[in-house]
Amino acid sequence: MKSSTIWFSVAGLSVAIILPFFLSQYWLHVMIISLFYVMMASSWNLLAGYTGQVSFAHAAFAGVGAYTSGMLSVFLGVSPWLGILIGIISAALLGLGLGVLCIRMGGIYLSLTTLGFSEIIRIIITNEDNWTRGTMGLQTPGLFVEYSKTGYYFIFLAVAVAIGVVIYKLIHSEWGLTMRAVLNDEIAASASGINTINVRLLAFTFTSAIAGLAGGLYGHYLMLVTPDIPSLGQMFLVLAMAVIGGMGSFAGPIVGSFVLEILSEYIREWGEYHVLIFGLIALAMARFAPEGLMGLWINKRKGHGHTN
Amino acid sequence: MKKFLSLFVFLMVLTIGSSCWAQGTVKIGVVGPRTGPAAATGQAFEEGIALAIDHINAAGGVLGKKLEIVFEDTGGVPEKAAAAFERLATKEKVPVVVGESHSSSALAEIELANRYKLPLIICEAWHDDITAKGYKWVFRAGPANSGVVDFYIAPFVKDMGFKKVAIVRENSDWGAGIAERTEFDLKKMNIPFTTLKIERDSKDFYTELTKLKAEKPDIILAYIYGTGLHFFIAQANEIGLSPRALVLDGAGPPSLWDSFWKNVGKAGDLELFMSSMHEKVHLTNTSRKFWDAYNKKYGKNPTDYKSRSIYNVILIAADAINRAKSTDAEKVVAALEKSNLEVTTGVVKFGLKSGSYEYHQWMPPMLVVQWQDKNQVVVYPKKAATGPLKKAK
Repeated sequence: MKSSTIWFSVAGLSVAIILPFFLSQYWLHVMIISLFYVMMASSWNLLAGYTGQVSFAHAAFAGVGAYTSGMLSVFLGVSPWLGILIGIISAALLGLGLGVLCIRMGGIYLSLTTLGFSEIIRIIITNEDNWTRGTMGLQTPGLFVEYSKTGYYFIFLAVAVAIGVVIYKLIHSEWGLTMRAVLNDEIAASASGINTINVRLLAFTFTSAIAGLAGGLYGHYLMLVTPDIPSLGQMFLVLAMAVIGGMGSFAGPIVGSFVLEILSEYIREWGEYHVLIFGLIALAMARFAPEGLMGLWINKRKGHGHTN
Repeated sequence: MKKFLSLFVFLMVLTIGSSCWAQGTVKIGVVGPRTGPAAATGQAFEEGIALAIDHINAAGGVLGKKLEIVFEDTGGVPEKAAAAFERLATKEKVPVVVGESHSSSALAEIELANRYKLPLIICEAWHDDITAKGYKWVFRAGPANSGVVDFYIAPFVKDMGFKKVAIVRENSDWGAGIAERTEFDLKKMNIPFTTLKIERDSKDFYTELTKLKAEKPDIILAYIYGTGLHFFIAQANEIGLSPRALVLDGAGPPSLWDSFWKNVGKAGDLELFMSSMHEKVHLTNTSRKFWDAYNKKYGKNPTDYKSRSIYNVILIAADAINRAKSTDAEKVVAALEKSNLEVTTGVVKFGLKSGSYEYHQWMPPMLVVQWQDKNQVVVYPKKAATGPLKKAK
């Protein structure tokens, strides 16, 4: 690990820890939501940015986590913590199942299949309203007996940091190298003795589990689970965060999540148009700065001749 | 490194700075759908809000300051509604929130009202549980499902001699609640009925309607809120089910939206709808004043009665804050419980006995109105009727 990276992590973490003592309830809420997106965008980036599998089912897996945990706690009185754990397992199993079915297709076919899967999940949730309460939304219990935004903030922070550490370790391990080999040239990787299918399947299952975890936490924070969580709108927001922040870099999705979530609080008055604007920004970034905000920043530093 | 730090500082300044605006006004929050299938309700709310601001500020404002309204969009979906309420409570820090016209959204909002101890006055979300849950901070100055069914829809069906009822209800909290109460009342009155559940955003009802036709109902209670109702009415007429079976729009406003006649064509004739407003029925002086002020400001007569509902709850909130002489939540609730205010639909007095939907509830009188040659004729209750009910020959 480079010294600058350590410096950043320590500084970022200290700021994050003292933040709740300065922020209003409202901005604490925005931070919690941002941390949810950090989990989503980082894990989606691991899948799309590192193994080249552009999945549109990531939000759907978050929905699986949220609804599994929500329904267990509402109908069976299961503790939300246990519920979230079961939610993670369900999302991972569904991810594995979907992976086994379609991972061999790769490329655009994988994207289309995950898109279909995502819609299937959303339609089932919307229509089976005896169980899920459909568009009415399922009201779920919170994680704490006494509601505390600061409490939620630290839970979300701890989980996001833990996920970040795991992802960081992963991409800097031999496994990460393998994944990038698969991304860059699948045939060459395969010829070098890498079981490309297994690598991709593992990445798919692992990131689905993280999405399930993020969704479960999110549902118990909002105390309301609706088909908005597994919607494509949510999916595109996560995608925009990763792309604008910088796909295929570790810090990119993290930066993207905070920037877009905070920005969206300011341009919210424009209603649905803000999604359109994010889409346009993401398009422009993909064309002119494919490495995102992080790429721009790094290039600029290199351009000025700074080194650490 | 410097850049990164300055970005951080910039974000911090943004986040902390935005909450410190000058306090020259008293803000009241409004929640309602400005987008989505019932965006027309947001339009009606905006008209009512503008008139309420004019009225209250002309009469001296709130606590001697000018009234300001912060209208947050719910899109008619619970998740957005909860986020909107969260924003009003924590960012705008309003002392009272009023509004709402979707039960599912309202049921999400009352949980937040309870958590933030922020008084909420609902005007047009009818589900019983909104007040039946017994939250101290939640009031409703508007119809409740049980009230609408027990006092208007069920007696109307019985008194007008309908023999077979079809209930068509959307999959929302409002739809489920009002259908359940209707079934309960019809069973008690021994009137046979059949119920169909439909998808809220659906535009194609041919399958359901064909099934219904076989049942030969003579009245269809349509609990569908949104433009879906228009398609329902047009398609019911197309397959020859209505007007032999009259359609009663259990909510009302969709039958009054500008798009109604464009979408239903001649199928709209003889259609019935619930309303709390009619050109010729003015229960109070305030009602007359509202009608004239609306006419003056917009150069037309008000149609959607929800412009008046939102006007009422803003008046109620402002009155309570003025009497409480404070924006303190406890004091505002205490003042609300003592409300005795004339609004456009009567004199508001909230129920104080807990244990049922009547807690913190005040129900305005309703009317059953029928479109007869594009004229609105009040057909029920009989003492308010401006003409007889017309059935198809």
